[in-house]
Amino acid sequence: MKPWEVVLSLVHNAVGIMTPFLLAATGGLYTELAGMLNIALEGLMLVGAFFAVVFAGLTGSLALGVALGIASSMLAALLFGLVTLKLKANVFIAGLATNLLASGLTVVLAFQLFKNKGVVRFELGSLPVLSVPALQGIPLLGGLLLGHNLLVYVSWAIVLASVVVIYRTPFGLRLRGTGLNAPTVASLGLRPQAYQLAGILISGFTCGLAGAWMTLNLAAFVPNITSGRGWIALVAIYLGNKTPVGIVVASFVFGLSEAFSNYAQGALKVPADFILAFPYFITVLAMILYSMWRHYRARVR
Amino acid sequence: MAYLRMRGITKMYPENNVLANAEVDFEVRRNEIHALVGENGAGKSTLMKILYGLERPDRGGIELEGRPVHIGSPLEAGRLGIGMVHQHFRLIPDFTIAENVVLGVEPVRRGLFLDREKAQASVRAVIQEYGFSIDPSLRVRELTVGQMQVVEIIKILYRRAQLLILDEPTSVLTAQQIQKLFLTLRHLRDIGKTVIIITHKLGEVKEISERVTVMRAGRVVAVRDTAEVDERELSRLMVGKAASLQVRREPAARGRAVLELRQVCLLGRGQDHPLLDRVDLTVHAGELVGVAGVGGNGLAELEDVVSGLRRVSSGRILHDGQEITRLDARELRRRGLAYVPADRLHRGSSLTSSVMENMIIASHHRFLRGGVLRRRQAEGFASRLAERFSIEGDPRVPIGTLSGGNIQKVILARELASRTDFILFSEPTWGLDVASSEFIYERIMEIRGQGLAILLLSSNLDEILSLADTLVVMYRGRVVARLANSGAVSKELVGEYMLGLKEDRP
Repeated sequence: MKPWEVVLSLVHNAVGIMTPFLLAATGGLYTELAGMLNIALEGLMLVGAFFAVVFAGLTGSLALGVALGIASSMLAALLFGLVTLKLKANVFIAGLATNLLASGLTVVLAFQLFKNKGVVRFELGSLPVLSVPALQGIPLLGGLLLGHNLLVYVSWAIVLASVVVIYRTPFGLRLRGTGLNAPTVASLGLRPQAYQLAGILISGFTCGLAGAWMTLNLAAFVPNITSGRGWIALVAIYLGNKTPVGIVVASFVFGLSEAFSNYAQGALKVPADFILAFPYFITVLAMILYSMWRHYRARVR
Repeated sequence: MAYLRMRGITKMYPENNVLANAEVDFEVRRNEIHALVGENGAGKSTLMKILYGLERPDRGGIELEGRPVHIGSPLEAGRLGIGMVHQHFRLIPDFTIAENVVLGVEPVRRGLFLDREKAQASVRAVIQEYGFSIDPSLRVRELTVGQMQVVEIIKILYRRAQLLILDEPTSVLTAQQIQKLFLTLRHLRDIGKTVIIITHKLGEVKEISERVTVMRAGRVVAVRDTAEVDERELSRLMVGKAASLQVRREPAARGRAVLELRQVCLLGRGQDHPLLDRVDLTVHAGELVGVAGVGGNGLAELEDVVSGLRRVSSGRILHDGQEITRLDARELRRRGLAYVPADRLHRGSSLTSSVMENMIIASHHRFLRGGVLRRRQAEGFASRLAERFSIEGDPRVPIGTLSGGNIQKVILARELASRTDFILFSEPTWGLDVASSEFIYERIMEIRGQGLAILLLSSNLDEILSLADTLVVMYRGRVVARLANSGAVSKELVGEYMLGLKEDRP
């Protein structure tokens, strides 16, 4: 392959691979704006990943798998929300507990159901791919943005909808108000906790979808398949300056680093361990650069 | 006929066993400005929280225009036309004025979307209707404190409130801003609104209200037509004895310069002008220098710099002629610089630690033996201090369970117990009742008589005018006036300096 073809295919892959980051970060943005640190993204995604592929395998329907995967993830989110908001548990501890529970529960259930502690494979059709022959001919656009599976486009729709919901609806105004100054929102007779719970449920929804994307693409469940993507999504929220557009950019950077890592495993003579660590290395680097940039901007002002 | 009638209101806070309201009867006539006065803890705020639906009474009922009403939440209060301006503003700095005003009752387009244009337009309509002048598209963080209060009032007028409750609305305002607020309140009364104003300041009661209700220890002790009472009588009713707010300030001999600030500058992130701009300040032994200023004009920064919590960007600070510019808070303490911070709950004390622990935190090494605290000695020390400063309660309980006045006394006791020749006070009586304030003033005057150099930062002009030997006014980080506090200095004059209307370049 010529170098530009490599770059093009890397970018094309990145656009697909960024999907779980983008979905989880967009959902996490709602909780972040409502003033809660949502470190449960990782666990919620894992729950969605597991149940999506299991239900798809049991019912034979990808659509049902996606729907029930989302439902399971939202149920876990509801549990997380009630424990923190109703029972007043520490958000950080409850989030960690959610992640540990998800990690353990999925492995135990996989073993109980399929007598397999490793990779569980399913006979599934692949996710429908969007191809528009008329647009395929357009250079760059056709190559980069088309030919992904349907969930990728759903994730874009969710980001667009979030821009509207967060900045253009009363709900969004109140959600942001809750995060900025909850006592003020309460003094107006609104219930800040209702908006925080809504934020958590929305993050459950998007994380369920993110998980479904991962396992349905593979037609398999791998223990801890999310492997830190929920944490990286949390980073993407901050790198994206807590805006939907910023999250798209940050998610793309992480998608690109993972795509590069996938490519390099076959093409470059570099130890595999290093290549697998590359996306995480990029995450740390991005955090450092972001922090330096913020300091710089503060000093310039 | 009474417009609002609260009858037999009783409220007990079980957490600390305080009877906040005991059989309180409270009546307000339509179309009047009614002052509700009392010391801290007299039960005024509790009564108003009940009226605004933030608290439920244990017993008693509320009638509005003769009809019994149930007010279970601020939302229900709002529906009944009751609105409240809290002492600490309930505003979101990152939102615009319009967004703050419509939050919770947003105009909606096509059943789903926030109608920003309509929000702006209808807020602008309210602003015009009531004769304010402010641009609803401004962000609240850009406003002055006076403007923020206007936004709070607009917020409740937008909700069509008929009865406005203002909780200590003047505590953060300058003399001019207070006059402006009073004009607004009179205008609102003239167009048919009813106003309840909670306050500590008796002069304001006389100036603004038609009737006044005095509370003490959870009970109503008097209801009067304001024209028929004078400030002395109100004061007597409030505290149970005639208390004079006059502090005796004996002429003191001015000694050596103890603390000097020379051309001190502090630059802030994201600020277009310095937070402190070439500040020169000298405090002599036996002298009390009072620094006045409206919030946001450098008082808080001056506090941070003098206490060693923030490094100056340029300039020098001297103690007894020796450079202390780069010393941190610990080293300053070791040199004998004491500090009573404005934020007594977070900076001045550790709320979950006991009174004793808070008292010895600056001098705990005196009670150590082999690195272990000798409890008996420490408790003895704490009890003696508590007695000398008449601090009520067991020194072993967490300081957070004490009243604001007692917490401040603990901090004062600690700071004065360390051997010191300089002390920095920031807002020493903010939010305290008359009795506690007087106690603090007496102690301050006492240590001034002993020859300590005192720097007092305060937004309370009465306090500065009655205590200070030298009066310094700050505006936008600069010293704009330095006056010897003779009887000739009037509140209005200082107010003009505080607002930047007048400026000496010293």
